[in-house]
Amino acid sequence: MKNVLRLLLLTLLLIAIAFPVFYMVSTSFFSPADYRAEVSRFLPSKFSFDNYRIAFGQRYFSNYLVNSIATSLLTAFGRTMIVIMAAFAFSHLEFTGKKPLLIILLATLFVPQDALIYQNYSTVASLGLIDTYAAIVLPGLFSASQLILLYSAFSSLSRDYYDAGRIDGAKDISYIFRILIPLTQSIVITIILQSAVTAFNSYLWPLLVTNRPKARTIQIALSMMGFREEGKLGAEAASIVIVTTPFLVLLALGRKKINEALLKGGLSE
Amino acid sequence: MIGGNMKKTLSIIAILLMAALSLFANGQKEDNEKKTIVVWHCNTGVTGEAFDKIVESFNNGIGKEYGIEIDAIYQGKANDVLTKVKASDEDSLPDIAQMDATAAIDMNYSEYLALASDLPISTDAFLDSALSAYRSEKGLLALPFNASSLLFYYNKTLFDSLSLSVPKTLEEFAAIAPMLGQKSGDSVTRYAFAGVPTTYELTTFIGSQNGLSYIVDNKNGHTGTPTEVLFGKEGTYKEFLTKWKALYDTGYVGNITSGVSTEFASGRTASMLASSSNLTTVISSVDGAFEVGVAPVPMVNENATGGTAIGGGGLFAFNDHDNTVAVLEYLTSAEVQRFWAEATGYFPINKGTYESEEYLSFIEENPLFNIAPEYAMSSNPLLTNVWLPSAYQIYYSFQANIQKVTAENMNIDDAINEMVGVIEDALDSYAEQNIN
Amino acid sequence: MLTLTYMKRKENMKAYLFLLPSLALAATFLFYPLMKAFASSFLTISQSGKILGFAGFKNYTKLFSDSGFRNAALNTIKFIIFFVPLNTVLTLLAATLTRKKRKGTAIAEFIFASPIVISLSAYALIFKEMFRGRISIINRIFSSEINWLSDKVPAMFVLVFLGVFLDFGLDYLLLTSAFRSTDKNIIDAAKIDGADDRKIYFSIELPLIKRMLSATIFLALKDAIMISSPVIILTEGGPFRSTETIMFYYYIEAFKSGNRAVQNTLSVLMTLIFILSMAIYSRRRSGNEKRT
Repeated sequence: MKNVLRLLLLTLLLIAIAFPVFYMVSTSFFSPADYRAEVSRFLPSKFSFDNYRIAFGQRYFSNYLVNSIATSLLTAFGRTMIVIMAAFAFSHLEFTGKKPLLIILLATLFVPQDALIYQNYSTVASLGLIDTYAAIVLPGLFSASQLILLYSAFSSLSRDYYDAGRIDGAKDISYIFRILIPLTQSIVITIILQSAVTAFNSYLWPLLVTNRPKARTIQIALSMMGFREEGKLGAEAASIVIVTTPFLVLLALGRKKINEALLKGGLSE
Repeated sequence: MIGGNMKKTLSIIAILLMAALSLFANGQKEDNEKKTIVVWHCNTGVTGEAFDKIVESFNNGIGKEYGIEIDAIYQGKANDVLTKVKASDEDSLPDIAQMDATAAIDMNYSEYLALASDLPISTDAFLDSALSAYRSEKGLLALPFNASSLLFYYNKTLFDSLSLSVPKTLEEFAAIAPMLGQKSGDSVTRYAFAGVPTTYELTTFIGSQNGLSYIVDNKNGHTGTPTEVLFGKEGTYKEFLTKWKALYDTGYVGNITSGVSTEFASGRTASMLASSSNLTTVISSVDGAFEVGVAPVPMVNENATGGTAIGGGGLFAFNDHDNTVAVLEYLTSAEVQRFWAEATGYFPINKGTYESEEYLSFIEENPLFNIAPEYAMSSNPLLTNVWLPSAYQIYYSFQANIQKVTAENMNIDDAINEMVGVIEDALDSYAEQNIN
Repeated sequence: MLTLTYMKRKENMKAYLFLLPSLALAATFLFYPLMKAFASSFLTISQSGKILGFAGFKNYTKLFSDSGFRNAALNTIKFIIFFVPLNTVLTLLAATLTRKKRKGTAIAEFIFASPIVISLSAYALIFKEMFRGRISIINRIFSSEINWLSDKVPAMFVLVFLGVFLDFGLDYLLLTSAFRSTDKNIIDAAKIDGADDRKIYFSIELPLIKRMLSATIFLALKDAIMISSPVIILTEGGPFRSTETIMFYYYIEAFKSGNRAVQNTLSVLMTLIFILSMAIYSRRRSGNEKRT
């Protein structure tokens, strides 16, 4: 009885979560007439790839994808590196003003960047960065919450390696890359993933700082393709499928590793 | 397993960081010769395709001859183009932006705008009423490009089958609404009308009253920043709300604010109000399921004879470079305007088009396309669209206000006070922050 | 002695170098805009940024009497009230149902995690389609006749559902990993003591993941307070301004109306609300830590 209930709940929830994806794939094959049907259809009347042809026919489609992937990777790796450097300094080095500087950086945890978007827009615009990757990426390159995670991870490591390495004259950078990062691998991976996903999903900021189609990210492009106004809703769905599929495949392949990383990572503490 | 790949990962990180540095190099800067004329536009769907063709034929024709290229960039709706323009400065502004009346008040005070009246373009060939849509106390803000008027779209097949003619007034409309609508049990399966009027529709509903009425003073903001709301004390909004409420109370008006055209095309509403520019799109989405009819907007009462204001958009220039002027001249030429009108339902702003044989035979074959220009030209030429600050907010406030009166039975006088308050607050804030 | 100060200075320089990017970024994109917004909120500033005069608290008093802002604040509160509990219950339910690896959980896990790779605009556009008009697919499934996006109350719910999908993937992954990293020995010991599954779940497992659960609740709360992009794509604040949230209102006033007074006061106000919610959360969190 209890198992039946569990299964029932699980099935319902699975259907609910999977439904939008199913509907997206299904409508990507809809003909304009399918949309006008008296009763909403679950499946297309016939499978035709017309919508995909229209979707791929967009002039800047590949630009959008490249821009999105590039800016989210840049944010993810750039931010992780910058935060690692800071966390290293606070956990391994002794210097004047350490405590106040740490407090200053951690205080940014309390500053909601979303609420300062206009001011940041004018900064980026006055630097002449509109339509560049730098404009999309820069404001997201520092994260206080990630600094906390890495700082506590680095601090909990034994200093023996570092002190031993220093006697050998090893450089800090190679210590960070060869010892620090491998030892805190799962946290680092978690942070990279989290940053990449957030950056990939950001909408309003890239919308504001890009004017030319070539500079737009896929998020902006999806909502600005104009297929809806043309009544070519199927082509809109097809574009979404094209954009989403690679990431679903990546998730299917990498899910185990992500789980492992999360299990070991700082976030699961 | 990841550790083994660590070195590889690290070298990738290093490469990416190097790439990051290169990002700070901005894209190619605009050259002084302005070989490329950047046009931000808001045309999508059928109009988008038509616009692309216009641009293409320039780039492959005259443009090639002079060595100029139009770079047409879609920035979303007209209001989104304005958002982009407002956020831009000299370096990031396009050469030309296509925007509508909501842009006028901001453009009137923009330090970057090149007044159309200062450009070496003769406006003799333009329709006067189309020009007056962009005339401010400073001069001509923009050149009209995509002119349209509000139209009453109706399911002609349905009207004919019921032997009903198009209602001339809202009262007449209320009388026939129960015949046009359909119910199954308690739920309406076909509305007589779907949609909620807002700024654009009210410019006509309020503006046409008593021959000519304004929403705000200074001739709807054209002769100076508006300082007060007129529709409250002149009773024009009350007259509209009373008549509209009566129509709504027939039970066959759907307060729908999005996807109204879809409802119309699928026969779930007998009529709607929309810009003449939707004509081609509507006809193609109805796809022969029924005959589409268009007509002037039902009047609020017998005295509401002012007609309608010319809507649509114009081309705002941000420099007076020869090549910018050449592009503007091309886009407003009689020939381009003919193609544009035939493809979309906007009406030509160039007098020359109306004399062209091709256009005359086109409207003879497609009489629906002639309703809007006739309606607009028979309207009071002094009736112009309204220039307001915070236009976006006011647009949605009107809808919310009318929704409250109709569906939530808000007292009409309270509703008017609320709406006057919203607009006057916006006017006050604007005046306070923009004393020029 | 001399070498020591030299060493010290060298170490200082090195540390500052490592901190430079973080400090520069925090200063440019967090502290500077905050200070600027704070200072500007007491001034009258033109659209183009010219300072016209000192306003005192007038910008604030005006904001609080602004009907648009009040409406947006009310909508945001409504959104929080519906979204945070629903999101928490559903993600916790999904994680609970799949916390033990069994046959088929791999597929279930994949589906539950999938929202993480489906982007905001993709979901918003699909939702627009799923909930379109009276003949929407959702109405067919539930044989309802709701005008999802044209009526005020249903539109808010569509926004809430969209919010749940946007946060579901990450929350699910976090909660699942929390369940799985709990100490198996305690559970085994309880089993030997004869506790049934239900009891183990509520008195052992749930308390063990309490910290992660409160973290996801906090994330959801943060997202709910700051929601704007889904509103921009899905409803544009409509119908009848029923889904205009505070941050959507901020976006409209800052970028469409160019109202600097509203924009700057809202920046300050939202920062204060943010600090307040962070403070409450960290106090609760440290309280929890002391108890455990």
